[in-house]
Amino acid sequence: MSAFLSYLLNGLAVGCAIALIASGLVVIHRVTGVVNFAQGTFAVVAGLCASSLLGMGLPHGLSEVAAVLAGAVAGLLTGLAAIGRRGTSPLSALIVTLGVGVLAYAVEIVLWGDQPRSAPGLAGSVTIAGARIQTQHLLVICVTAATFVLIALFFGRTYLGKALTACASNPYAARVVGIDTRRMGLLAFAIGGLLGGLAGVLITPLRPISFDTDVTLIVNGFAAAVFGALTRPVITLIGALLLGVAETMAAGYGYGSHQLEVALGLMILVMIVQASRRSTIHEETV
Amino acid sequence: MRRLAGGLLVAAATLALPAVLDDSALAVYILLGLAAMVTVGVSLLMGYAGQVSLGQGAFYAIGAYTAALLALGGVPPLAGLIAAPLVAAASALVIGTPLLRLRGHHLAFATLAMQLILLSVAGQMEFTGGDIGLQAIPQFGIGSWEMSSAAAYAYLTWAGVALVMLVTYNVSTSRPGRALRALATSETAAASSGIPVGRYKLAVFALSAAFAGLAGSIYCFYTGYVAPGSFPVLISIQYIVMAVVGGLGTIWGAVVGATAITLLVQGLNIVGALPGMPTYAPSVLSYAVYALVLILVVLFLPQGLLPALTRRLPSRVRARS
Repeated sequence: MSAFLSYLLNGLAVGCAIALIASGLVVIHRVTGVVNFAQGTFAVVAGLCASSLLGMGLPHGLSEVAAVLAGAVAGLLTGLAAIGRRGTSPLSALIVTLGVGVLAYAVEIVLWGDQPRSAPGLAGSVTIAGARIQTQHLLVICVTAATFVLIALFFGRTYLGKALTACASNPYAARVVGIDTRRMGLLAFAIGGLLGGLAGVLITPLRPISFDTDVTLIVNGFAAAVFGALTRPVITLIGALLLGVAETMAAGYGYGSHQLEVALGLMILVMIVQASRRSTIHEETV
Repeated sequence: MRRLAGGLLVAAATLALPAVLDDSALAVYILLGLAAMVTVGVSLLMGYAGQVSLGQGAFYAIGAYTAALLALGGVPPLAGLIAAPLVAAASALVIGTPLLRLRGHHLAFATLAMQLILLSVAGQMEFTGGDIGLQAIPQFGIGSWEMSSAAAYAYLTWAGVALVMLVTYNVSTSRPGRALRALATSETAAASSGIPVGRYKLAVFALSAAFAGLAGSIYCFYTGYVAPGSFPVLISIQYIVMAVVGGLGTIWGAVVGATAITLLVQGLNIVGALPGMPTYAPSVLSYAVYALVLILVVLFLPQGLLPALTRRLPSRVRARS
């Protein structure tokens, strides 16, 4: 029972990290219609930054914040490449973000080498109802919960957040009332970078990160985001938590080598079920 | 008439090259031909039918593993060479039946996922040799004749390229080819004018997989070794880059794109291996080149290199006269 509980909590922590990446995808897709393939890259950049800054002797807290901001800058730059030029179709923008992800490989290898790097996080562990759980896992869960509350407040209560929501629901009407949809798109990319960076900083202490970790991260994030059809954050969160728990349980009960297949198979299944419930006409006009 | 002369010139150059190149240049020449073969399929799938596949490397791998397993099992290599594209096409039919219900970015991610699953399975199974892969694959040959020189492999490869281009040309000028172009613009409109959209999409997916499978089987005979590490996700992205650079939906464009990217990467590899360069230089340079070329072409030359060049040529001729 205690093993089950500790797998569950660990799984929730893994799911939270996936949820942060997936929510970045959702924010960018809602506002710009672009699926950002470089979303995992933001996490890798921030994670590697954090490990370097901590290695240079900067205090905890400061290094992590700086690393998350680096993620946001990476997001903004990706946005400039993907939607900076007018008339780029969403599918072309997807291919551009794919290119940005590969370009980031080159930059990351030059700056950090091709070996995995880790960073010290919160040490120690706590015991909850007989189950041992690392403090860092608890930190991941708490930060994710706080982030989702903040995002909900930002989109629901602030002027800027409402402008972003307006772009998401009807770009034409948003332009009519004087909202610069391109600037909002860039802002969405920066927020996506921030969320990806947060995920990267949180998971670097849990498992070492190297330049090509982004494929696993983006695939898991995308799998979670398709649960919410790439538009609904709350369902995305639920999807990410389910995915994290399912993967950790599979690993914990001895099917560790099939972790990736479980996640990917689930993602394909969800997409096919969703596609069969949508009509072609609807999809082609959107 | 001019087009025919141009085509003959290209064919003559292609046939003459293996005789004059040395072994290391021939290796590049063969890999270039293999990449062109896969890219023609990608170009057909993306350019004509409008379907994005980020997992074309999976069919390349299926072709290579099929030929390798058959050859190691004592089956004549020629049978393996024929079986590889058939097996790749059959697996595309099986995989494509559920997957091609998806569109746009969903399909892109699903095909990428398919390749990741396949690599992971190939790395764990006993009969595929796990992560180490299959080694000591016999040379290609027919009867008692064994193909041992690189030049012979170059001829085999480029014969494959010619076959693939011919098939693609015939498909694209036929009635189904026009139907494919119609469904790429709007599936609803195509379906309402009587085009069996699902069946055509599946057929073109299988055809492009067969091209990749053929390339994969030649690759396995040439190198004599296959492993999951030979087919990374980046290889599928590389085919997209080549197809986009050359110009989607043009047959020659795929070959031009494959040539341009292969020569560029090869040139940079030489620069990266110069004394005084850091050890990571070759991989960094090739990543950077793939990425920058892809981004710049998508943003500034969305129709690709070949259409952009050919459109410029006649206008200059017109200006002179």
